[in-house]
Amino acid sequence: MERMFPPKKPSTMNSHDRPMCVQGDSGLVLTTDPKPRLRWTVELHERFVDAVTQLGGPDKATPKTIMRVMGVKGLTLYHLKSHLQKFRLGKQPHKEFNDHSIKDGMRASAIELQRNTASSSAMIGRNMNDNSHMVDAIRMQIEVQRRLHEQLEVQKHLQLRIEAQGKYMQSILEKAYQTLATENMGAVAAAATNMKGIGGGAHGIPDMGVMKDYGSPLNFTSFQDLDIYGGGGGNDQIDLHQNLEKPTLDGSGFLPINEGLCLGGSNNNSNNKKRPNPYGSGNNTGKSPLIWSDDLRLQDLGTASSCLGDDPLFKGEQIQMDHRGTHEIDPMAEIYDTKPVLQGADGDNKKFDASMKLERPSPRRMSPMISTGTMAQGRSSPFG
Amino acid sequence: MEIDMLDIHNLEFSGYSTTTTTTTPSSDENPAYTNWTHWSPLVNWEAIAAPHDDFHHLIDSIIDHHHATTPLHLTPDHDDEDDTTTANTADDESPPLPTTPTPTIAGEDETKGLRLVHLLMAAAESLTGATKSRDLARVILLRLKELVPFSSTSSSTGATNMERLAAHFTQALQGLLDGAGGGGAHNNHSNNNKQYSYWSHQTETLTAFQLLQDMSPYVKFAHFTANQAILEAIAHHRRAHIVDFDIMEGIQWASLLQALASYNKTASPGPHLRITALSRTGSGRRSIATVQETGRRLTAFAASLGQPFSFHHCRMDSDETFRPNGLKLVRGEALVFNCMLNLPHLPYRARDSVASFLNGAKDLSPVLVTMAEEDIGPVGVDAGFVGRFMDSLHHYSAFYDSLEAGFPMEGRARALVERVFLGPRIAASLGRIYRTSEGKEERGSWREWLCGMGFKGVPLSSANQSQAKLLINLFKDGYKLEQLGSNQLVLSWESRRLFSTSIWSSSSSYSQIEPL
Repeated sequence: MERMFPPKKPSTMNSHDRPMCVQGDSGLVLTTDPKPRLRWTVELHERFVDAVTQLGGPDKATPKTIMRVMGVKGLTLYHLKSHLQKFRLGKQPHKEFNDHSIKDGMRASAIELQRNTASSSAMIGRNMNDNSHMVDAIRMQIEVQRRLHEQLEVQKHLQLRIEAQGKYMQSILEKAYQTLATENMGAVAAAATNMKGIGGGAHGIPDMGVMKDYGSPLNFTSFQDLDIYGGGGGNDQIDLHQNLEKPTLDGSGFLPINEGLCLGGSNNNSNNKKRPNPYGSGNNTGKSPLIWSDDLRLQDLGTASSCLGDDPLFKGEQIQMDHRGTHEIDPMAEIYDTKPVLQGADGDNKKFDASMKLERPSPRRMSPMISTGTMAQGRSSPFG
Repeated sequence: MEIDMLDIHNLEFSGYSTTTTTTTPSSDENPAYTNWTHWSPLVNWEAIAAPHDDFHHLIDSIIDHHHATTPLHLTPDHDDEDDTTTANTADDESPPLPTTPTPTIAGEDETKGLRLVHLLMAAAESLTGATKSRDLARVILLRLKELVPFSSTSSSTGATNMERLAAHFTQALQGLLDGAGGGGAHNNHSNNNKQYSYWSHQTETLTAFQLLQDMSPYVKFAHFTANQAILEAIAHHRRAHIVDFDIMEGIQWASLLQALASYNKTASPGPHLRITALSRTGSGRRSIATVQETGRRLTAFAASLGQPFSFHHCRMDSDETFRPNGLKLVRGEALVFNCMLNLPHLPYRARDSVASFLNGAKDLSPVLVTMAEEDIGPVGVDAGFVGRFMDSLHHYSAFYDSLEAGFPMEGRARALVERVFLGPRIAASLGRIYRTSEGKEERGSWREWLCGMGFKGVPLSSANQSQAKLLINLFKDGYKLEQLGSNQLVLSWESRRLFSTSIWSSSSSYSQIEPL
C-alpha cells in the first residue's frame, strides 16, 4: 500500500527524518513543529483507507463521511480533505508512475534498443566496408544468375528454332524427292529405247536412293533391274559413256581448250572399245566420273565442238553432276561412308545394297540438338 | 597456237629454283607429277611475284589452313623465292606465319599445294596485268588441270582440299580465258534446267544445302541473327511485314515462325506476319513457281504452328530492279527488309539489283533492314585482278577448311557441296572480279553502302549475341565471332572473316525495342 503513494509519502510517513512526534491521546500524532501538523501514520492511513473503501472508494467518499466512519477525534475536515485529495491523486500518480515506468521502461528499452542498435549500427557501420564487398558480391551473383537464366532461355529458343528449320527442310526434301520419283517413273519406262529417257531415268536414280531412305513405298528393285549403271545393256552403256565423257572434267562453262589442244578423237563416234581404258576394268558407267582422274589424259577430252554438244540434255555438268550426284546423294547415308562404294567390282549394285549403311557425321555435338526434332524418320541421320 | 603436250615437259623456265626437297610423289598423285619437279615456270617468277609480295603471307595462310594439324614448315625453295622478292609496302592480308625451313612429312603435300597456289596466281596474272598473255594462261591452266583434274573435285580420289579448291579455281579461270562470260555461264544450273529434270537438279541442290547446313554454321548464323533482331523489333507490333530479297525455299522464316508462335503462347498475341517475296522474271518461269511454292509451304507451316500469316509475292522488273510501289503495304505495320546475300546456297544477285532493293528500303523507311553478306578481305583499291583473285582464293580455302573441319570423314559429302555451290560461286565471283577489275567498278561492302545511305545501325541485343555464340559452339572449334560495331557480327574461320550479318534501321523509324 505504501507503494501506492508517491515516494515522498512513505518518507513522510516515516518519522525518521522528522522531529519528534507526540502521540496524542486520540491516537493522532502531531508533530512538535511550531505549526502542528497531523501526521498520517500507517495505522491512521489504514483506517482512512478502510473508511474510504467502506464508502466506495476515494471518489465516492467525502471527508465528512470518512470522518464519521473513521470516528477519530481530532481529525478535522481539513485534514481529511487534504488527505483524501492526496489519496485520490496518489492513485493517479501511482498509475502514472507505472505508466511512466512502463514508458520509461519502454523508453529505456527503446533507448537501450537504440543504444544497442546504435551500437550494432556502429558495428555495422564499422563492418560496412567488409559488408560492401559482400553486397557487391551478392549483386554480381544476381547478375550472373540473371545472365545464366538468359543464356538458358537463348539456348532453349535456339534449339527450338533449329528444330523448326530442320522440320521445314525435311518437308521440302520429302516433297522434292517424291516429285522427282513420280516424275521419273514415267521417264524410266522409256529408258530402254530413248536416250533422253535414259538421261531422265538416270537422273531419277539418286532420288530413288533417297526415297528408299525416306521410307518411300517405291520399289527400288525396278531400277536395279534396269541396271542402268550396272553392266547391263550395251546400248545404254554406250550412250551413257558418251554422255558422261563429254562433260568430263568440264563443269558448266569449263570448256575444253579449243585451239588445237584437243588431241583425242571425237566422242561422238566412240564405241565401247575405246572407253573402257580410262574406266579401268569394268564397263560400269556408273564408275566413270569418279575413276577417271587417275588415268585421264588430256587427249581423252573430247574436242570442244563435240564436247559442247548440241544435245542440251547432256550439256555441261548436268550429267556429270547427276551421276556423281547419284553416288553422292544416293542414300544420304552413303554420303557418310568413308570409302567410295563405287569402286568395287559390283559397281552400283553394291551401292544400292549398301544404301542403308549409315554413319554418323562427325560433329557429334550437333546431333543432340538436331536429332531431337529434325528429320527423324526412324533413322538417326540428321537428314532423315 | 598448238603445243604438243609432250613438249611441255621440255619447256625451259627461268628464274625458278628447282632445288626442291620433295621426295618422290605419293602414289595417289598424278604420274605426271614427277615431271613437275623438273619444271620451271615459263615466266620469271620474280617479275610476277615481286608486285605481289604481300601474297606470300596469304599463301602461307592458305597452305597452313590445309595442314592445320601439322605445323607448317615451308620448304626451302619457297623461302628462296620469298627472299628474292622485295618487301613492298602493301599490308599483310593475313597474319604472317613463321616460316621455318624444315620440311616435314607434310612438306610434300604442301609443296604441291604451294605450287598450285603459285600456278593459280601465275595464271591469274597472265590473264590480266602486266604480263597478260592468253597463251601463257592456257599453258599454265593446262598444267593445273593435269595436276588437279576436275574429277578430283569429287574427292573420291582422295584429293585434298587444296586440290579440289585448285580444281575449281582452275575451272573458273579457264572459263575466264575462254571468255565464257564468267558469271553468266556459271549461273549454275538455272540455265540448263530446261533441258533435263528440274527436280533432280533441285533435289541435288537441296541435299547439298542440307549438308551444308550440317557442316557449317554459316546459313544458320545469318538467318538466326537476322531473325532474332526482327523478332525483337516486331514483337510489340500488331502487324509485321517482311520483304525478302531472295526467299529461295523460305528456310529462314521457318525458325522465325516458330519463334513467333512460341511467343504467342507466352505473352500477349504476337504480330500477324506478312511476308512478301520478290520474284525475278529474268531467270525463267521457275522463279515465280518456286516463290509461289515457297509461299504455300510457309503458309502451311505457319498454320501448323498456329501463327497468323500471309504470303505475297512481288515481281521485280526484268532487269531485276526492285520497285517499291509493287509492294502492298498496310498502315501501321512494322516493315522489315531482309537481304541475305552471298550465302553459300544463294545465287548471285547483280549489284544493281541489290542496290535497287536497298534504295527501295530507304524510301519506305522500314523498321529494320537485315543484311547478310560475305566478307571480302581488305584488299587495297588498286589490288587489281590478281589481288582480288588471291583474296578470293584465301576466302574459299578458309571455307573449304571449315567444311572439312565439320565433316572430316565425309569427303564425298563435302565434295558434293563444293561442286553444287562453291564451284559455281567461285567461277561466278571470279568472273565478276575479272570484269570489274577491267572496268573498275566499285565493290565495297553493302554495309558501307547502307551506312553511306544514311541507315543507322541497330545494336544487337545480348540475347542475339549469346545465340550466335551458342550456335557456333555447336560446330567445331575454329569458328570465331567478332563484333564489329554494335550492329554487326562477323563469322570467321580461323583468321579469315567469311560472313557478316548486320542490322540497320532508317534513322527516322527506329523505335525502342525490347528483347524477347
